[in-house]
Parts: sequence; C-alpha cells; structure tokens
Amino acid sequence: MLLAVAHLIHNNTNLVHALVLSMAMGVSCALLSVVVVLRRWAFIGEGISHAGFGGIGTCWLLSLAFPFLANQTAAYGIAVLFCIAMALSIGFVTRGTRMASDTAIGIFLVASLAWGFMALAIFRHVRGTPVNWEGYLFGDISQVSARSMIAGLSIAMAVILVLAGLCKEILAYSFDPLLARVSGVRAGAIHYMLMVLLAMIIVTGMGIAGNVLVTALLVLPGATALLLSRNLKRVLVLSVMISLAGTIGGVTVSSLWTFLPSGACMVLVLFVEFATVFMSGKAKC
Amino acid sequence: MEEIVQISRLNFAYGEQLVLKHIDLTVAAGSTLGVIGPNGGGKTTLLKLLLGLHQPSRGQIRIAGLSPSQAIGRGSVVGYLPQNPRADRNFPLSARQVIGLGLVGKTGMLRRHSPADLEFVESLIERMELIDVANTPIGELSGGQQQRAFIARALAPRPRILLLDEPTTGIDRRGQQRFIELIQNLKTELKLTIILASHDLRAVTAVSDRLACLNLTLHYHDIPQRLPAELVYEMFACDLAALGGRAALPVDDVRAASPQQCPSKTAEKSPCY
Repeated sequence: MLLAVAHLIHNNTNLVHALVLSMAMGVSCALLSVVVVLRRWAFIGEGISHAGFGGIGTCWLLSLAFPFLANQTAAYGIAVLFCIAMALSIGFVTRGTRMASDTAIGIFLVASLAWGFMALAIFRHVRGTPVNWEGYLFGDISQVSARSMIAGLSIAMAVILVLAGLCKEILAYSFDPLLARVSGVRAGAIHYMLMVLLAMIIVTGMGIAGNVLVTALLVLPGATALLLSRNLKRVLVLSVMISLAGTIGGVTVSSLWTFLPSGACMVLVLFVEFATVFMSGKAKC
Repeated sequence: MEEIVQISRLNFAYGEQLVLKHIDLTVAAGSTLGVIGPNGGGKTTLLKLLLGLHQPSRGQIRIAGLSPSQAIGRGSVVGYLPQNPRADRNFPLSARQVIGLGLVGKTGMLRRHSPADLEFVESLIERMELIDVANTPIGELSGGQQQRAFIARALAPRPRILLLDEPTTGIDRRGQQRFIELIQNLKTELKLTIILASHDLRAVTAVSDRLACLNLTLHYHDIPQRLPAELVYEMFACDLAALGGRAALPVDDVRAASPQQCPSKTAEKSPCY
C-alpha cells in the first residue's frame, strides 16, 4: 500500500497539495479543537461551516451577472466573507441573552444551507449546466490547487501563531469567560477573534473535508485527546497526533479509492480513533 | 484614611425594574465591608457594578480613583470570587495553572508573567494549604479546595480590593469556619480592602469591620470598630421577622441565622429598618 501511495504522490501533484494542506489543517484544527470542545462550541462550528455553502451559492448567483466570479477562488473568497459574517453573528448572539444560542445557530445553519441549495437550483436552471456541488459539501482532493494549498498553509500558520501568541488569554477565557473579563482579559476581543479564526479555518478545510464535515476536524481531535489526559500539554500534543492521523489517513484512503470522498474518509478515521479510545476506557494521564 | 471605593447617587435598573436606588457608599482602604440583605436585595448587582459588568443608570462609581472598567482593565486593582465557583471536571489545568490565570490581565498580551508574580503565586499556594494538590487537575479538587484555589486566583495579581460574592454558600460548617479564619488572616497579611456580600450573617459579622444592609436602598453603618450586637440585631430584625413573624430575636439567634431564613426575591422591597 505504501508503494501505491508513493506512486500516486509521484504522479499526482494535486494529491501532494492535498496532503500538505491536510497536514496544515491537521495541526491548526487540532489546537483549535481543544478550545472548541472546552467551550462547548461544536454546534457553533457547525453553524459557521454551513454558512460556507450559502457563500458559495451566492457566488454562483453573482457569476450569472458577473462571469469573472465563476471560479473557485471567488467561490472561496465569498465563502470566507459569509463564514466570518456568520461567525460574528453567532458570536454576538451567544454573548447576549435574547435568544438561546443553540436556537439561533440552528436557525442560521438551515437558512444558509437552504440559501445555498436555492442558489444552486437557480444557477443550474439558468445555465443548464451541472455544478460540482458535492465537492464543496464533502471535500474533493482533486480540486486542491497549488494556490489553494498556499492560501491554506498561510491561514493555518496564522491560526497557529495567534493561538500561540495569545495562549494564556485564550486559556483564561476558555476556563471561565466572566472570571477572565474581571481579571483584566479583553474577553470580548478574544471571543470574536476565536470566532473569526474558526471561520477562516473552516473555509480552508472545506476543500479537503467539505463544509458539512469540516467541523469534525474541530471536534473529534480535541474530544479524543481530552478522553486521554487532563494535562494541557499532553492534550495538545495528543490532539495534534490524532488529527494528523485522521487528515493524512483520510486523504490517503481517498487517493487510493478515488470514488470515496476525502471528507468522509477523514471523519471516519477520526471517529474510529475516538471510538477506540472511548471503548478502551483508558485512564487519564 | 484613603477612600478606595466611592459610590455616589447610584441608581441601577434591569429594564424598568429599579434594583438599586440612591446608593451612597464609601469604603476606606484596608477595611472590610460586609454587605448583607435578602436574596434579590441587590448585593450581587452592586458587585457587578463594581466589576464594570453593569453600567449605572445614574450616579458614579470610583475605585482607587478609576472607573470600574479602568480598574478591571488594570488587572491588579480588583480581585473577585464569584458565588459558588466550580471548575469543569475535565478541564485540563492543574490547580497551580488555574491560580496563575489570575495574573493574565495584569501581565498583558504577548508578555510572560514576572518571576516576582510567579513567586507570589507559589506563596499563595502554600498559604492556602494547596501544596499537596497544586499539580492535580482542578476538577478533581474537593469543593473547599476549589474555593481556596479560586480565592488564590483572585489574589494572584495582588489586588487592592477583594470582592467576595456569597463565599460561604454550599460549604459545610467546618469549611465556613475555616473560610472565616482564612479571610481574617489574609486581610491582615495582605492589607486588603474586602467587600463581602452575603446573606450568611455569621460569616459577615465575623469578618466585617463595617456593615451595610442592602435591599433596594443601602443603609450604611460607618462604625470604626465591630458593630455592636444590638445594632446587628436591629438591622436584621425586620427581615427575620418578615419570615417568621418574630418581632424580636436574641442576638445569638441573629448570628446563627442560616441563609434559608432570608426572604426570597419576591419579598417586598423595603428598607431594613
């Protein structure tokens, strides 16, 4: 199998791009996933990621009037804007008390998905041509170009640097937002910054995992690592290892059996890791 | 003596509901003010105003010459112990790391904690008798140990004022006695100004130099030494009487009154006496 993978890598530049991107995603998502799990933000990630499909739908519609937008870069650009707008909206709602946050996220989530599908239907009706929408939803490594790999690497690096630079503030905020605020931490700024980081990493991961499944990268590594340890350093290291195994494993499986979507492969590898740890009931170290 | 907290003509309302009215209060540096009153009387709201979590509808608050937001922003002016603090059982931080989080605001972004501050954290761990559990995950500590860890967290940046919100809630009698002794020692050793809001009369009267009764409006008793027992009784008589219809209670009964004896949030807003 290793020889088959090596042969594939040698002959397929898109696979190299996908592997590099999956490693960058693996590390950045793993670090962010510890925060997501500790803050119980899994559903927030779900809401933000679904906004991506609404953004891509908007790009399809706009491309009917502005043909220069009919490309992948424009689609991801508009998806980023949609995700950031969604992240800030969710961030605003979850800090207030007017509506339960899960209700608000549920509403945003289905509205974004519905808008994306409606835009897709209109685009197909007007153009009369099929659209590769499944690739956006479930990931497609054949679509990972050098440009998207570099963009993804840059974003992943930025996320890692921000997390490292503001580590103590993010920890204080994750432990208790109110206590962080009253001890002088700019909790509001940290909250919205984390939302924006989530939005950026979700859009980056959409290419390989799809916007329906990308949130798994933001939940499963952290959740599995926290089953194994209550020591922060160990949790972070374990989360990165678990995540890299999932992303690289998923891309590899998908490249060997090309009919399998990469997003689904990654999520299932991560799930197997989680289930194994959960079932083994390993004592925390 | 320096007045470290100054509140003048303060009003606060949640929407249309007035919660605090015409509050005038000063707290001298180094003193301990006990704020007592029934549930819903506005004690926690007053603390939240001091923490800058609420904005007054009218009036002004100054803490060490700063607005509450400025004082909190400094990270080393105010320490806060919330009511019934409990850590997530699975949170991957040790007691020592949680106490260290109290320094984050003081240290500031992109900076390392100073060696002197880290040394002070270690001294707090020792003082709070947490040395044996300092590296244990915070969620595995007992309720009393967690409370001491949270007090140490609040004290880590060496604040000038410590705000305590119902600190004895959910703690057994022995734990309450230990808490009272701890606060009395800290007050002397660290020269702290303490504002303690509680409806646990025993704890408040044991540690406070001065007492204020809060129930919409505030009745402040600026007495330099410990309040005479008769005055404590006088302040509480209306609340306790409202519950049990008892017009008079011996002072010992007042001191021993349990939190359950306090009127509920639905109690009519009225001055204590």
